[in-house]
Amino acid sequence: MQDFPPRTATFFSGSDAAPSPDPDTRTPAAFLRWVLGQQKALIALSSLCYSLWFLPMTLGPWIFGRAVDDGIVGGSTAALLGWATLLLGVVLVGAVFGIVSHTLVVRTWLIGLYGALEMVTRKVVQMGHVLPRRSPTGEVLSVASSDSDEFGALTEILARTVGQLVSYLTVAFIVLTMSWQLGLLTLVAAPVLVGAALPLLRPLHRRQQLERSRTSDLTSLATDIVAGLRILRGIGGEQTFGANYDRQSQSAKEAGVAAGIWQAVVEAVGVLLSGIFLVALVWLGTRQVEAGTLTVGELITFLGYGLFMVGPIRTFFEFAQKGVRSMVSARKAIAIFEQRPPWRAPAEPVALDGTGALHDTTSGLTVQPGILTVVVSAVPEQSSALADRLGRYLPADTEPVPVDGDDGVRGRAARRARAEKARERARIAALDEERAGHDWGVTLGGVDLARADLADVRRQVLVSDTGSQLFAGTLQDAVDPHGRLTREQAEHALRVANAEDVYDALPEGWQGQLDERGRGLSGGQRQRVVLARAIAADPPVLVLVEPTSAVDAHTEARIAERVAGTRRGRTTVVTTVSPLWLHHADHVVLLHDGTVVAEGRHADLLAVDDYRRVVARALDEEEATR
Amino acid sequence: MSTGLSHDPLATSAATWRDRTEDPPAIPDELRPPQGVGVRERHRALWQRHALRRQRAEDVYAASRNPARGWPVSGNRAVLAFFGDLVRSRKKSFALLVALNALAAGSALVVPRLLGELVNRVQTQGAAVEGLDTLALVVVGVVLLQALFTFGAQRTSTHFGQDLLASAREYIVGTILRLPVGRVEGASTGDLVTRVTRDVGTMARSVQWGVPRLLISLLTVLLSVVAMLLNSVVLAVPALLVFSLCTPAVRTYLTRAPKAYITEGATYSRINTTLTETVEGARTVEALGLSAARVRAGSDDIEVSAQAERYGMTLRNVLFAALNGAFQVPQVVTLLVGAYAYGRGWVDLGQITAAMLYVVALSEPLDAVIGEVDRLQVGAASTSRLLGIAEVQPDREPGDRLPDGVELVGEDLRFAYREGHDVLHGVDLRLRTGERLAVVGPSGSGKSTLGRLLSGINRPRTGSARVGGVDLVDLPLEVLRTEVALVTQEHHVFIGTVRDNIVLAREDSSDDAVREALRAVGSLAWVERLPDGLDTMIGSGRFALTPAQAQQVALARLIIADPHTLVLDEATSLIDPRTARTLEGSMNNLLEGRTVVAIAHRLHTAHDADRIAVVMDGLVVELGSHDELIDLDGEYAALWRAWTS
Ligand SMILES: Nc1ncnc2c1ncn2[C@@H]1O[C@H](COP(=O)(O)OP(=O)(O)O)[C@@H](O)[C@H]1O
Ligand SMILES: [Mg+2]
Repeated sequence: MQDFPPRTATFFSGSDAAPSPDPDTRTPAAFLRWVLGQQKALIALSSLCYSLWFLPMTLGPWIFGRAVDDGIVGGSTAALLGWATLLLGVVLVGAVFGIVSHTLVVRTWLIGLYGALEMVTRKVVQMGHVLPRRSPTGEVLSVASSDSDEFGALTEILARTVGQLVSYLTVAFIVLTMSWQLGLLTLVAAPVLVGAALPLLRPLHRRQQLERSRTSDLTSLATDIVAGLRILRGIGGEQTFGANYDRQSQSAKEAGVAAGIWQAVVEAVGVLLSGIFLVALVWLGTRQVEAGTLTVGELITFLGYGLFMVGPIRTFFEFAQKGVRSMVSARKAIAIFEQRPPWRAPAEPVALDGTGALHDTTSGLTVQPGILTVVVSAVPEQSSALADRLGRYLPADTEPVPVDGDDGVRGRAARRARAEKARERARIAALDEERAGHDWGVTLGGVDLARADLADVRRQVLVSDTGSQLFAGTLQDAVDPHGRLTREQAEHALRVANAEDVYDALPEGWQGQLDERGRGLSGGQRQRVVLARAIAADPPVLVLVEPTSAVDAHTEARIAERVAGTRRGRTTVVTTVSPLWLHHADHVVLLHDGTVVAEGRHADLLAVDDYRRVVARALDEEEATR
Repeated sequence: MSTGLSHDPLATSAATWRDRTEDPPAIPDELRPPQGVGVRERHRALWQRHALRRQRAEDVYAASRNPARGWPVSGNRAVLAFFGDLVRSRKKSFALLVALNALAAGSALVVPRLLGELVNRVQTQGAAVEGLDTLALVVVGVVLLQALFTFGAQRTSTHFGQDLLASAREYIVGTILRLPVGRVEGASTGDLVTRVTRDVGTMARSVQWGVPRLLISLLTVLLSVVAMLLNSVVLAVPALLVFSLCTPAVRTYLTRAPKAYITEGATYSRINTTLTETVEGARTVEALGLSAARVRAGSDDIEVSAQAERYGMTLRNVLFAALNGAFQVPQVVTLLVGAYAYGRGWVDLGQITAAMLYVVALSEPLDAVIGEVDRLQVGAASTSRLLGIAEVQPDREPGDRLPDGVELVGEDLRFAYREGHDVLHGVDLRLRTGERLAVVGPSGSGKSTLGRLLSGINRPRTGSARVGGVDLVDLPLEVLRTEVALVTQEHHVFIGTVRDNIVLAREDSSDDAVREALRAVGSLAWVERLPDGLDTMIGSGRFALTPAQAQQVALARLIIADPHTLVLDEATSLIDPRTARTLEGSMNNLLEGRTVVAIAHRLHTAHDADRIAVVMDGLVVELGSHDELIDLDGEYAALWRAWTS
């Protein structure tokens, strides 16, 4: 029997073992069928247990009525004890299966929830840098944080609906055999009672939606105040923004009250209708007792069932609602899960030689092995595009396509908008495959990167771009994420990146905790820890994009010297315009409009006007003052 | 080049380095069920695991009450006092709430009695029952009343709950806006963000729904018991006794459940944090080959979460075992006792019917009481984290002396973030009015710390930073802000109007003053082109400004504040090189006529300054003009040569 957390290897197995089969992402309904199909047996079992759990509610009133008739009114102690024992038995069965079905349902729910979470993580790492180019980060995260819960909830509501259906049918059978008029009234009244509240629900939902949106505005105001707290406490403005918050808080309160009043209406109407139904039931019942067609015990049975029937009907409506919600979630989930990496593994992968020269056709750049090459460009985007090419990364030239459209549009317009977005996603995917399928245009040791395994490329060439991120964990984890370094190596990396002060500021040293994304470190500190991590990884080819842009000149000078020293004999490319790096460069390349226009040593290139303009603002000034 | 650090910062490296082969698994092996053992052993192991999970939940809860980092957390007593005060200030609506709910619950309880009465009449009078229709009409009347009372009760509950909630959250944000400047500047705001989002949400749910619903359910239970006793003591007492049998189980559950739910909540936020990092850092993960590690981190989080879920599940199962018995068995008891008492003529059939209806109906409010107490406890934990913010002690007591003059002098400045670890070792600095002083030096040498002391954010451990003869930290904040301002890399555009975003330092500024400030930084033109001019809403999710415009807004704020001294801590280092040119003019207008301390990132800032201070290892080691320092041929000169050759 399955249990949680589920063992999955969908999309990414992490080892050489083949990943588990992909989910069915053809349509939202197919996906939901797949999700439920994953735990067919468990869901069937919990449906069964649910119906047994409801047994006291299903049979209790009937037994009670019989006991009144045979035992109390009829005066037979034996019959009374018999019925009482049966009632006790039913109650106990219900109690036991209450626990069993709770256990099972937690299980199916969490298998659904955790399974979806696992799939999101695995899809993200399977796609790598390609996913953010196609899907907005927020959407990927919301599949994990809210849609996954819908899938869990779906398993629960399905089992409960089946259980309630069984109860409903059982009760229907019992009441119809006792009195068809009353039975019919009971059966018909339940849907009517639930249905009568429906017209009231629409205005209620509208008000609840307003309340939710005002509350979420309020939350963003509070987040905004905290995010700018340093400025508010440093420069001032507490009154203005405090008052803004209070105003929004009051308007959220008004929306909440409006929604609450409608809620009150709905509940009062519910009380009224079910009360009147109960009275009608008893009134009709007493007539039948008068006429002798119904016994007193049976009347009591009807009283017991009177309100029970509302339960199953509510569940059926809930099932419909959650079904719709799951379809929406499924649509968002498949927009993520259906994506495939654009890379196709070469039929006969060539092993790359990291000690060979690196050549980029587009720019005409050739990086000689074993030396420090600095790429200078007046336009930072051009150097980072070059770095992306060197590492076989698709350029960040696409706009991620959200699944969620405008909330305002409905029906056909919404479907059209969705189809439009699906086409756009397909277009990007096709474009990616097209780019990934051809020769890449960058060779390492004479071999085009497309002819090697992507994993091999990643091993040989490490590109540390400006978006490089730190992960929450200890400083040791940050510098040595794979756990492969000796302490001396890690210390060395920290020194090369001149990040000793980060160590120093943490009382626990290597075990000091860094917050997620290195928040809590200054921009310069974060940049230097990222650099230390890249240095520690010690790849054959290292490409550093603007590695010291947030670092002061003193520190930059040290870093440049130390990086040049430690990387001697390995291929290193740095994109920057800082003279402090250029001094240590073995070779400098000037990029203009994305192509190499001049190269040589820093001292020699100073004779080139374009180069001087890009590199040395300070030089110009000195010249002017001279 | 010397390291500039006298001690070896990595001296403790050997002691703090960890051998990763010894890392424990995400969850200890004792938490996994044993394989291939008998039923009895498995059962024993199950309870052992439950005890272990309880320990883990207690630990998480304890840690959340005493966070090692971040802001403080207050105690339960403070939470009670807080809500006590809030309720006390709403005595009238509270009384109305109780009264209306009592009426609604009371009228609901009349109905079963009347139905019982109907049954009685048919049973005793047989055919041709008297007054049946009248009785039915009476019931309809009661039902109508009940509906009306329900509406009134719900309405007052909403008003009360929403009002309580609004006051509570406004109070919390008020305390955040009063946090000590020094603490705000040093600490990470992540913890605060969690508090104003998640904790306010949890508190909201329990205040808005929990408090009124608990009251309603308690009233219903109370009145039901009264009604049952009025109906028939003989029938009520045994049933109530059986109900009360579940009390110990409920009590155990209620002491443990909140910790379980807080632990579960913590595991889910951990799952989210890890996943968010993986998604946002997808490229880093790919570049460094961290895929397997990130998947493992995610699975580990799920494992931990599953353990928390199992603990909660077992707690609920134990509760259900007690409740299912306690709530259903009274039916059987009522039946048996009813039959016996009926035989003796103590009760009639109507009373039995009513008793049965009461017994069945009682389980709902009882369930609700347990659920709401549960929810309130979780809410209380969040509230205690929110109230903790109010417990941060103020870091200054403003005196009544006002500065005499504008000269800013720092003497013998020392400062430590951690006791015994001074990061400034006695800095003396006398600013000349109107000068530009550049501060350069390696990372970690104490430049930012010096900047904070010179702008009155932190109090020096020894020595003093004074303006016009008065300690900066003894000035009232409103005065301090108009004397000296610290400008950092951070520029934040608040959600609000353009005016709101600019008048910060002098909130009573006139529109003309705002326009003047905007003109000075060169942004009046684009502001006037905005749809609503100064009243246009900007900030996240509203009208978006370009980075250059955002920077200009930040500069306009300072023009309004109009301090005579500015401390710029790498303020321009994040300015996009392409926007730098547009901003240069705005910046010059701001700096014009003020004393400026610029902690410099790039050397040309230093080159342009009147004087340069080189900070190394918490001391000013060189001080003088560019030319003087070049002649001195020290640190600065060496760096300058490297930069320019
Ligand atoms: N909030 C803080 N808590 C603990 N240590 C800190 C904090 N801020 C800075 N430090 C430490 O104080 C020293 C000086 O830091 P800082 O003034 O930021 O230097 P700089 O601005 O020159 O880089 C460094 O060793 C740094 O690690
Ligand atoms: Mg600093």
